[in-house]
Amino acid sequence: MSAAAALIPGILFAQDQTSGSGEKGINWQKTPCRFCGVGCGLLVGTKGGKAIAVKGDPRSTVNKGLCCVKGYHSILALYGKDRLTKPLVRKNGVFVETSMKEALDLVASKLQETIKNHGKDAAAMYGSGQWTIPDGYVASKLFKGVIGTNNVEANARLCMASAVTGFITTFGIDEPMGCYEDIDHANVFVLWGNNMAEMHPVLFSRLLDQKMKRKAKIIDLATRTTRTSKASDKSILFKPQTDLAIANAICYEIVKNGWTNKTFIERHTSFKKGKTNIGYGMEDHFAFKDEETPITFKEYEKFLEAYSPEKVEELTGVSAKDIKYLATLYGDPNKKVMSLWCMGMNQHTRGTWINNLVYNIHLLTGKISTPGNSPFSLTGQPSACGTVREVGTLTHKLPYGVVMKEAAREKAAKIWKVPVENISPKPTYHTVEMFRALDRGDIKFMWVQVTNPMVTMPNLNRYREATRKEGRFLVVSDVYPTPTTDEADVILPSAMWIEREGMYGNSERRTQHFEQLLDPPGEAMSDTWQLIEVAKRMGFEKWFPWDKENHIEEIWKEYSLFHEGPKHGMAPYEVLKKQSGAMWPYYNGKSTQWRFNSKYDPAATEGDFDFYGKEDHKAVIFQRPYEPAPEIPDEEFPFWLNTGRVLEHWHTGSMTRRVKVLHQAVPNSYVEMNPLDAKKMGISNGEKIRLVTKRGEIEIPTSINERGVPPRGQVFVPFFDEGYLINDVTLDAFCPISKQPDYKKCAVRLEKI
Amino acid sequence: MLFIVMAVGAFIILEQTLEGQGKAVQFTDEQGFRSPSIPLEEGVFTNTERASEFALLGFENDAGREYQEYYANRAYQGAPPTIPHPVQADGIIGENSCLKCHKNGGYVSDFDAFAPVTPHPQLVSCRQCHVPTNTEGLFKPNNWSEIEGVPIHNRALISSPPTIPHAIAMRENCLSCHSGPSAVKELRVTHPERTNCLQCHAKAEKADVLDNWVRPGSTQPKSENP
Repeated sequence: MSAAAALIPGILFAQDQTSGSGEKGINWQKTPCRFCGVGCGLLVGTKGGKAIAVKGDPRSTVNKGLCCVKGYHSILALYGKDRLTKPLVRKNGVFVETSMKEALDLVASKLQETIKNHGKDAAAMYGSGQWTIPDGYVASKLFKGVIGTNNVEANARLCMASAVTGFITTFGIDEPMGCYEDIDHANVFVLWGNNMAEMHPVLFSRLLDQKMKRKAKIIDLATRTTRTSKASDKSILFKPQTDLAIANAICYEIVKNGWTNKTFIERHTSFKKGKTNIGYGMEDHFAFKDEETPITFKEYEKFLEAYSPEKVEELTGVSAKDIKYLATLYGDPNKKVMSLWCMGMNQHTRGTWINNLVYNIHLLTGKISTPGNSPFSLTGQPSACGTVREVGTLTHKLPYGVVMKEAAREKAAKIWKVPVENISPKPTYHTVEMFRALDRGDIKFMWVQVTNPMVTMPNLNRYREATRKEGRFLVVSDVYPTPTTDEADVILPSAMWIEREGMYGNSERRTQHFEQLLDPPGEAMSDTWQLIEVAKRMGFEKWFPWDKENHIEEIWKEYSLFHEGPKHGMAPYEVLKKQSGAMWPYYNGKSTQWRFNSKYDPAATEGDFDFYGKEDHKAVIFQRPYEPAPEIPDEEFPFWLNTGRVLEHWHTGSMTRRVKVLHQAVPNSYVEMNPLDAKKMGISNGEKIRLVTKRGEIEIPTSINERGVPPRGQVFVPFFDEGYLINDVTLDAFCPISKQPDYKKCAVRLEKI
Repeated sequence: MLFIVMAVGAFIILEQTLEGQGKAVQFTDEQGFRSPSIPLEEGVFTNTERASEFALLGFENDAGREYQEYYANRAYQGAPPTIPHPVQADGIIGENSCLKCHKNGGYVSDFDAFAPVTPHPQLVSCRQCHVPTNTEGLFKPNNWSEIEGVPIHNRALISSPPTIPHAIAMRENCLSCHSGPSAVKELRVTHPERTNCLQCHAKAEKADVLDNWVRPGSTQPKSENP
């Protein structure tokens, strides 16, 4: 016992805790959570080379010490018995174990062969919003800079693309202007099709805390009744796709009643319209380019006339009274309003439009970029922002700017030290079209990392067949066997999360670093290093000269060059190591909480607010009409089918289903039905029924009056369960602007078995 | 008695401080300030109005759970427990359901048990962290195994009050777990009527701050502990 301890009885010293036992203590280290886009700070305790406990990081301003059940049990997902520890190569139809060296040789030679025989654009990389920033950066540099194809796409296309195009069209620059601290200032939270209690549980607890402490109001605007509805002050149900009409009706009321912020509109906004009847992308080679035309305020006002609350009552299923109530909340100058949304608005064939329309409400009232006034686009994946949107791992993007812009290509070429001609100005395939290209044979080689498209692609039947076709070569890097690895020609075992060093970027522009805390099992290797090894084998070593020991730091330093300056500066590596994240623009040693507001944002220099993403420094108020969904219930297929997640499972469940607590809480998927529909059809809870759409059918047990209750004429199915592949029956229609598919709406028939 | 010591020791190891080990990094917040070393104590006196009631119950009685039972539904020490009983409604937030029993506790005849009292009734989205068990099976087997407790004393002298070996964030309300009929027998306090727990029981979690403390302006080098 130390001398100090003897002098101060009752106080126990760290050394004493451990010295008596002969055991080493627990080493607690910070890391962002592995799962959702909230980006909670965790403290993971390791001991003897194993992770043994988790607690919420009290220093993280995101979650302030609280986690959700997935976060608390996240480390258990590292230890599933069937972790992939050795590469597997398909030989004569069966997987054969091999060494990492041999497997990487094969991947590199197949990639070279494909490029030689079929051209650069016949090879593709399909990554994920769960990629760490270095993973995405190395993939982008290798494919876009060195090889010379823009075929780097990510599953964030399926989750955040409409949010991105919403930001780009309205503000000219991606990602939310506000931050989570808005929650502590807002008086009203309007949730647009966002079951936050399950999908962003830790943030929702912050909302509930404000509801309790400050009597802040939560309004749940949704298509089905969920836990969120039950915790809200008011639940408003609307018919699928009609959020477009509701948003316009709110704007109608705001304009009609003179609740607009006239000075703000005059100084900081412009009015525009785009094309209408823009299609749904259900056919191959679908192409669409929007055309933005300026309009006057008068024209906009006239457009809104079709959307009076009374006129949209029948279409939306929302009473004029409720729409007016929403408008009064947004219109009251003494109320701070935060709008929150995620997949409900993004997975939408008019996803870009509905994002634009909610910004309209905030711009008309000037309720934006100030603490508590915040249209807030939440993210699904831990690094959809960090890796996909910021690094630009989409087929039209570079780490800075888009491939179509010469200046962006030049900047990338300079930082990457490649000839500028290497970078193609042609954007290639978005996700759905990429898998269609694989089906058609335009793509022959695809490398998938950290995602499970054989569970998540809409209209999955078609794309599963695509991977099996002659002459296709599929490489899959993952941590567990999945329906996607089942289709692979080579399976590479990946190091997961804290088994390597990395960074994620969450919804509020916060970049968070994590150290390697554990050794990966067997030959498992980080996705970053897998890419570097393949690059080296292709003779590209000089672009990837980093050591295993410091490559993450070196990559971060190189990547940061793309974002230098007050608009998008990234925090230095040393800062990220030290604190629980930093928010970009990180400039002059400081994070930025509210962008476009000159009080907080170093890049905002013109007046009080400065929407510098646009050339004229003005945010756009868009005239976007209501247009129906592509497939609407009819006599043959009388129900709407909606899909989504549950609290306990992350995406396709490949990690969370291997955690006892999570699996035992929600062991399988189900179809939620309205009790009256069930009664009419003579179906009881738990009974298996058949769901049939134009694309296929599945048999699945019902859930009646359990967690969520859809209104009559609608059903809901969680997609996490590979035993019930709901995406076999979903529709691959997408938003023509963002190319993000709509997983929330298609027509389905229910059959009693 | 040995068992109690072991149990408490397990807590100590688990909740050891961030800075406790030499290699740990010192964290700063967004603005570069160190977090305050005094832990949040909001809610420390919650439930104290029931202290005398708990005192009357006495230290030795048959109510309450065994330590082993307490850990049966926790994945590791400090993990949120699963819900060990059937739950009727799935689509609810806790204010009007879970907290009806778990805010104040009380005897539930259906389970012939006293409902455990939550130390954080202000967090009402209970199912965010606590989930029921709806099947006994596994999707795939897992190698996870819980760490064994390690025997350590957490009092400096034989007569001194034990320190608090766990983080108190979300567990500030001492009496909810350490007293009353649902308290774990081995963790029950003998003197619930003395409600100012932190008066005598110090948090071990921050002890290293003192250990490494150097008086400002001191010319003496920091003493090395043997």
